[in-house]
Amino acid sequence: MKPQFVKINALHLKPSRLKRGIPRLLPVTEVDTMEQRAVNGTTGSASQPGMGGPPPFGQPPGNGMQGPKRNKRRVPIWVRVVISIFLLLLIVVGGLVGYYYSVFSTPVSHIVGQQVTRLKGDEDPNVSRNGADILSGSRINILLLGSDTDQKFSSGSYLAQTDIVITIDPATKKVGMLSIPRDFYINVPGNGMHKLDEAYSLGGVALSRLTIYQDFGIPINYYAWVGLDGFIKVIDAVGGVNVDVLHPITDDNYPDDVGNKTGDIYAYKRLYIPPGPQHLSGPDALEYVRSRHADLVGDFGRSARQQQVLGALKTKLNNSDIISKLPDIAHDLDGYVKTDMQLTDVLKLANFARGLDPNSIQRVILGPPYSSSGNTLSDESVVFPYCAKIIPVIAQMFDLGNNARCNIQANSDNGSLASAAQPSPAPAATDNTWQAASQVAGTSVMSMGGSGDNLYGFRSLLDLMFMVVFESPNAMQI
Amino acid sequence: MKRFTPWSTRLLLLLLALSLQGCLGSGGNNNQVGNTITTNSNGNKVSVAQNLFKGKIYFTIDHNLWVTDGSGAARELIHGSNIYDPAISPDGKWIAFIARFKDFANLDYISAGGGPVHILLSGNGHFYNDSGFIKNTYYWFAQPAWSADGTHLLFLSDIEKEDWYAATGINAPLLDLQVFSIPFNNPTAKPQDVAYASFGDGGDRDPSYRPGHPNEVVYTHYAYDTATRTQQVIQLFLEDANAIANHPGVYHPGLPGYDPGVAITDGKDQNLQPAFSPDGNAIAYVRRESSSQMGLYMMKVPEGVTANPNNPTVEQQALAPYHKSSHILSGQFISQPTWSPDGKQIAYVSYNNEFDLWLANINYNAKTGVWSMRGIPVPLTSGGVDGDSRPFWTP
Repeated sequence: MKPQFVKINALHLKPSRLKRGIPRLLPVTEVDTMEQRAVNGTTGSASQPGMGGPPPFGQPPGNGMQGPKRNKRRVPIWVRVVISIFLLLLIVVGGLVGYYYSVFSTPVSHIVGQQVTRLKGDEDPNVSRNGADILSGSRINILLLGSDTDQKFSSGSYLAQTDIVITIDPATKKVGMLSIPRDFYINVPGNGMHKLDEAYSLGGVALSRLTIYQDFGIPINYYAWVGLDGFIKVIDAVGGVNVDVLHPITDDNYPDDVGNKTGDIYAYKRLYIPPGPQHLSGPDALEYVRSRHADLVGDFGRSARQQQVLGALKTKLNNSDIISKLPDIAHDLDGYVKTDMQLTDVLKLANFARGLDPNSIQRVILGPPYSSSGNTLSDESVVFPYCAKIIPVIAQMFDLGNNARCNIQANSDNGSLASAAQPSPAPAATDNTWQAASQVAGTSVMSMGGSGDNLYGFRSLLDLMFMVVFESPNAMQI
Repeated sequence: MKRFTPWSTRLLLLLLALSLQGCLGSGGNNNQVGNTITTNSNGNKVSVAQNLFKGKIYFTIDHNLWVTDGSGAARELIHGSNIYDPAISPDGKWIAFIARFKDFANLDYISAGGGPVHILLSGNGHFYNDSGFIKNTYYWFAQPAWSADGTHLLFLSDIEKEDWYAATGINAPLLDLQVFSIPFNNPTAKPQDVAYASFGDGGDRDPSYRPGHPNEVVYTHYAYDTATRTQQVIQLFLEDANAIANHPGVYHPGLPGYDPGVAITDGKDQNLQPAFSPDGNAIAYVRRESSSQMGLYMMKVPEGVTANPNNPTVEQQALAPYHKSSHILSGQFISQPTWSPDGKQIAYVSYNNEFDLWLANINYNAKTGVWSMRGIPVPLTSGGVDGDSRPFWTP
């Protein structure tokens, strides 16, 4: 038996043998033990063939207890190689999946299920839904809030530039979208007259939600908040986007609300984006898709720009190269997207939006003729609502009936000043097509749940972010 | 003892490693074309090929000004000034360019040999409240272009944005950029109106003087269709540079049909970024063929159409060369064509995950009047240059 040990020792002592291949993989402890025996000169033990123990390592076929029959059953080398590669792949893929779930689970848990306690007077419409699925039961209204810069989620000195209410009737699949100007001069419950965007700075999501309910009678089932800096970070994380700018973009009144260090939260900046193919960084891309004054055709042109950027961005997100950047993107979303919806709700919403006919969405922006710009007595530039024109529109859009209201004066927290009784014909809502959505959310997506859908849900959270930033459910479709 | 064949294991592992490398997108950028000159903001090494052209090409990387010659060497002329659209004077002494800031731009120049930056026109200003309207005194400047004798510069600007209010009483600034000119030696003189913009689609772009025809300029005109005012119409216009100045009160900015420009491309196609050949007889331009596909085309310059631009017969005559355009090549985001001084090559920007400069050799058949490409295009740079700044080629 000694030559066998000599062979093992030679194998470990001569690297040149290694270059020609290792005949058999060994547990280190076994090798060490045998080496120890060799060093000690031990040649006989209970493990030696013929002494009742298993055959020693490296013994040729036909020796000792391993007869010809066992040799015939030996697994061919190519099978072992394939199995080894398969196991290696399994370990690599399993490790990657485990790593990514660990990467995504934390930000996802910080984004979804972020309940905000309702203030007194803010009735919870979800109570009457009896736990119904987000896309079944009675109508749901989702408040979309967009804020300017870092760490905006705590109420304090920050504003919500975007205030949009999405309404979905699960029975008919009709979708409406009400954009309320940030400068709307209205009563903020308990705080008197303020611009709507200040409601967020005075009391965060809870007060914004209560303000919408008390001033307009629109109950809010869910909210989704996005920090615009998060969108910039996502764009920058994928290395920017490359688009063909359709025409020169000029805007002398673009809100200077991202990265503005001056302290003037109502400041403007000027834009001039030259036309033609070019690279857009995160801030550039946000300016390109947000500018409202750069097209004679208004929101149609803006929508075309948004689709360009979304197309370029999603092309990058669908590229395999993005795998290495996903942890960065997940980190970028963490703290910049918040919602009280659960992940499964967001998945269903995203899937629903993907099947939605963009032309079927009723869009109303409460600009003129529903409001007009002006100054308060203290010379503050604001937007004054015209309640007589607003009430019929929101009554119809949200199916509110006589519950639609318009409280535009202080100390009117009970909604008694203006009501649906105001006589005025309802102006035609823009794009009032109200057609049924083309398809319902797929069950394959709906059935997913738990932490296993983090990766897919993560993508849906990106779509949620795009919907808020672009102020349109269409953003989830591209 | 069974003999093993470790080479097969190694081969399989090698294939596995290669496939994983492909899956993960690693392996680096192997498209380097020549000498590395810098690393851009994306972390890519930018390289320049050698022995592909004669003369010097000025361009920008991360909006820093660079110049390269045919040797493959390159030199950074200005760093950190957010530079666009360098233009070299005909005598080679000066480089005019745009320096952009947050709310405005300056039209600057430096000596071609280096030295301090001089401000020719400053767009700096401030915001103010005009009866509830937030306005400002900032201005943009863009895309300077020299006259053939080096005495004047064309440029784009919104310096007359409040003139619309003054003329109409409608308090809506005309933000769309228009074409102006100033004498290089007297920049404080009032800029001369050269080409007007239509309201609402961003204005004009890509102005340049026609070589050999000092009174003619070409530019891209962005507008909406007159019927519905919803569809973009992007055309190349040829114009008498002095028509507005010589006919005061005849032409007005803001509305189509009230300018002395004559369209030399059909409005049903979107054509942009014209570049005159060195002899002034041809124009290379870019046509949008789809959302990402763009084509490089060439056409003759229509003659004698700027004197009477609003005559329907002249308008038809001006479009005739366009319909005989030669298609040179197509690709993703092809843009910013510029001719070599000898008229035998075109440099342009193309896109393959990054914007780079490419070169195409050009043939012209005088008998058929057709341009064609000789051989295949070759990359001049790799690693990524700016796609939104037009390069400039000098002898």
